Amino acid sequence: MILTFDFILILFLFISAIASITIKDLLSAVIILGAYSFFMCLLWAQMAAVDVAFTEASVSAGIGTVLFIGAVSKTERRSKD
Amino acid sequence: MIASLFHYYNYWMFIGLMMIGFYAMMAKRNLIKKIIGMNIFQSAIILFFISTSVKGKGASVPILRDAHETHEAATLNIMQYTNPLPHVLMLTAIVVMVATLGVALAVAILIHRRYGTLDENEISLRR
Amino acid sequence: MKPLYLITTVIVGALLIYGTLDMPRWGDPHSPASTHVSPYYLQHSLVHTATPNVVTAVLADYRGFDTLGETTVIFTAGMACILLLRRRRKG
Repeated sequence: MILTFDFILILFLFISAIASITIKDLLSAVIILGAYSFFMCLLWAQMAAVDVAFTEASVSAGIGTVLFIGAVSKTERRSKD
Repeated sequence: MIASLFHYYNYWMFIGLMMIGFYAMMAKRNLIKKIIGMNIFQSAIILFFISTSVKGKGASVPILRDAHETHEAATLNIMQYTNPLPHVLMLTAIVVMVATLGVALAVAILIHRRYGTLDENEISLRR
Repeated sequence: MKPLYLITTVIVGALLIYGTLDMPRWGDPHSPASTHVSPYYLQHSLVHTATPNVVTAVLADYRGFDTLGETTVIFTAGMACILLLRRRRKG
C-alpha cells in the first residue's frame, strides 16, 4: 500500500465522479463512468483485493458500460441537466 | 489529534463518493443520470467493505504461498494475508449490482417508448 | 428545490462521518472483521479443498449455496429484461 499512489487514485476518482454527473451529453457521461469503474478497480488491486478487481474490470466496467451505451442509443442522447 | 484523525481518511473518501451519488439520485431530473448516480453509490459502498479487509503493512494477496508442499495449519502466519471474507461477499455484490443496472435500464427504455422523453417533469405533466 | 437536496446530502454525510469515529483504525489487523471467522478459512482451506486461492475456495466450496442463489438472481434479472423489452403484437 503506497500512500501517494492512493491519494492520486482517489483524486482521479472524485474528478471522474463529479464530471460524469455534471456533463450534459449522456454518451460522454457513460464513458466517464467507465473510467470511474477502472479507477475503482485500480484502487482495489492496490488494496490487495485481486479477485474483486478482476470482477470489477470485466463485469462493471465492461458489461455495465455496454448496457449503458445500448440504453442511450435506444433512447435520446442529450439531457437538460 | 491530527495523527489520530489521519487513520480515518479512507472512510471519509467513501463518504464523499457516496454523497456525490446520493445528490445525483435526488437532484438530477434525467432518468439515465439517476441510474449513473445509483452506480456511483453502490461502488462507494463496496469500496467501504473492501477497505475493512486491509491488514496494514506486510499483508498481501490471499493466495497461499508454498501450496505444493504440505504444510500444517499451525505454521501458517495469518498476518501475511489480507482478510478473504469481504472479498467473497463483494464479488457477489458486484454481480448483483450489474443485474439491477440491467433491469433499471430496461425500465428506462420502456418509459421512453411510452412517453417519448426521459425527463421527470415532462413525464409527470404528460400523464 | 436544489438547496434542499444539497442540505439533505450534507446532513447525511455529517452523520456518517460522526459514525466513523467509533470504527477501528484503517488497516488494523486486530479489528473485529478479521479476527472471528477469517483465520479459520485461511488456516484450513488448503487442507479441506486443496486450493491455494482462498477467495475461490470460500466462494465455491464453503459458500456454494450463496453462489447458487447469486446465479438465480442473474437468471431472474435476464428473464425480467427479456419480458420487459419484448415487442407485443397487437390483436
